[in-house]
Amino acid sequence: MRPVSTTVRYARLTWQLSAVSMHRLTEYRMDFLLGAGGLLLRVVCQVAVIGMVFRQAPEIAGWHYDQVLFLLGFSLLPRGLDRMFTDQLWILARKLVQNGEFFRYLIRPVHPLFSLLSERFLYPDGFGELLTGAGLVWYAADRLALTPDTAQLLLAPVLVLCGTLILASIKTLFASLAFWTTNSFPALYAANQLGDFSGYPLDLYHPSLRWLLTWLLPYAFTAYIPASYLLFGRAPLLPWLFAVTAGLVALALAVWHRGVDRYEMTGS
Amino acid sequence: MIVAENLVKDFRVHERGPGLLGSLGTLFSREHRLVRAVSGVSFEIPAGTKVAYIGANGAGKSTTVKMLTGIMTPTSGRALVAGLEPYRERRRNAANIGVVFGQRSQLWWDLPVPDSFRILRGIHDIPDAVYRRNMALYRDLLDLDALGNTPVRQLSLGQRMRAEVAASLVHDPKVVFLDEPTVGLDLVLKEAVRELVNRVNAELGTTVLLTSHDMGDIRAICDGVLVVDRGEVVHSGSVHELLRTADTRAVLFEHEGDPAAPTEAIALIEARLDGASATVVDGGRIRVEYPTGRWTSRQVMGLLLEHFDVTDCVAPEPDLESVLRRIYTGGRRPAPRPEAVG
Repeated sequence: MRPVSTTVRYARLTWQLSAVSMHRLTEYRMDFLLGAGGLLLRVVCQVAVIGMVFRQAPEIAGWHYDQVLFLLGFSLLPRGLDRMFTDQLWILARKLVQNGEFFRYLIRPVHPLFSLLSERFLYPDGFGELLTGAGLVWYAADRLALTPDTAQLLLAPVLVLCGTLILASIKTLFASLAFWTTNSFPALYAANQLGDFSGYPLDLYHPSLRWLLTWLLPYAFTAYIPASYLLFGRAPLLPWLFAVTAGLVALALAVWHRGVDRYEMTGS
Repeated sequence: MIVAENLVKDFRVHERGPGLLGSLGTLFSREHRLVRAVSGVSFEIPAGTKVAYIGANGAGKSTTVKMLTGIMTPTSGRALVAGLEPYRERRRNAANIGVVFGQRSQLWWDLPVPDSFRILRGIHDIPDAVYRRNMALYRDLLDLDALGNTPVRQLSLGQRMRAEVAASLVHDPKVVFLDEPTVGLDLVLKEAVRELVNRVNAELGTTVLLTSHDMGDIRAICDGVLVVDRGEVVHSGSVHELLRTADTRAVLFEHEGDPAAPTEAIALIEARLDGASATVVDGGRIRVEYPTGRWTSRQVMGLLLEHFDVTDCVAPEPDLESVLRRIYTGGRRPAPRPEAVG
């Protein structure tokens, strides 16, 4: 009964905090438009580059133009969801430990990680990513005349959710390093930049990079592997998805807890 | 309600050589020394009391408060707040306590104050009646509505502090830790914050632990004091008892006579009262300061009445600030023993 009531409580709080956060959308409309606009510009550039590349060759490493668009669009879905709920981790990495403000998550009667993330629930930039991603997926699927079977349709949201959890875990892991180094922004930034590779077919890359993106920082499981499954109906590594997700979440939480326990609030 | 048993907190400070080579060295060697911020503090604060925890900068006040609030784990020793070890059961402890760190914010930085309270209501599961009662009180005393819909980050320090204090109390905590709660407030608002804390203590029996450099806060709120110095409690008792440890007292008086020539009077007093000093203060009064170990107030008054035609006389309470200054700077030397009157 207790886990159920806890889950209900956190779900209710998430809903409530998200509702409060919606204020930001109205209060910082300009920020929102700028953020969404910048993101859109970036995706347009990415699409343009892909378009130019495919003007030279109709097929690269077994992928067609529309399939690459689908992959790019799919990669934005977990990224957008992740950004909507975990953006505060950037602030943790950059300054919350350094300036001593992290203390406030330890004096609230909710899980400190939840408390931290809740300060930026529904971060506006995430909407842009999610909508752009959904648009691209829709457009590419339409041009490919994709007809997913029932299993694919049912699995699709689960795949996006696991991808989101993987991204959030990698972010938590690197942001938590700030408990040791006081500022882990460079590490988090580097890890996040690597994630950009996941929006393109991994077949393009050197095997060492492919291995890195699959097993070390498993970004492959957030886009390439699930998108391959949805496009071609096969992805040999897909069965690993749940194990990888669960393992990574556990690792991130363990590092987070160790970090919180050694946290020393600076200053008076 | 609050128990500290031999609380110790050591910090690791990494040694780093000078210059670039020194910085690079820290990457490879992990040499460090331990700095003891709190060395075996023990005390007990009964439920419903209002205690000031005071000490000079670097005396280990904040570190102790951080352990009592569960933010940091002690190196050794144990703390109990409302029956829980705060750093072990942070979430359960958080429901019991309220915290204000004057230098830092716990509100939602980019949201308006009313939103912060709405969120606090949710995470603390505050019953409707309690929430309404408290918000009405804050509106009344702190004029919380005046903060409007401005995001917290755009508020002035004074405006923010009002909201911080209210936010620490909104869930009716059993214990409230106030670290510099009136910093940045004008006199009227300082009064309001003190009144709020006193009212909550009187009506709900909330235990208060205050650390402040503002003597006014301590006098207006607290009935007990714990003085820490170099990580140890050196005085524990009521404010009154602390004041009685003062080693200098003062008497101010006015007298009939030649106000233009106070030097004679001063010379007379200083000659008769060994170790005392007399000065002319505003309004032509003479202030006599004397060591309590050497003279009793009766002897001083007797002398004044004998030699002057006294028209007005006051013996102010010793000043808390100077009592504390003596403790901080003079260490713990005992007061000199009274000697026979010569």
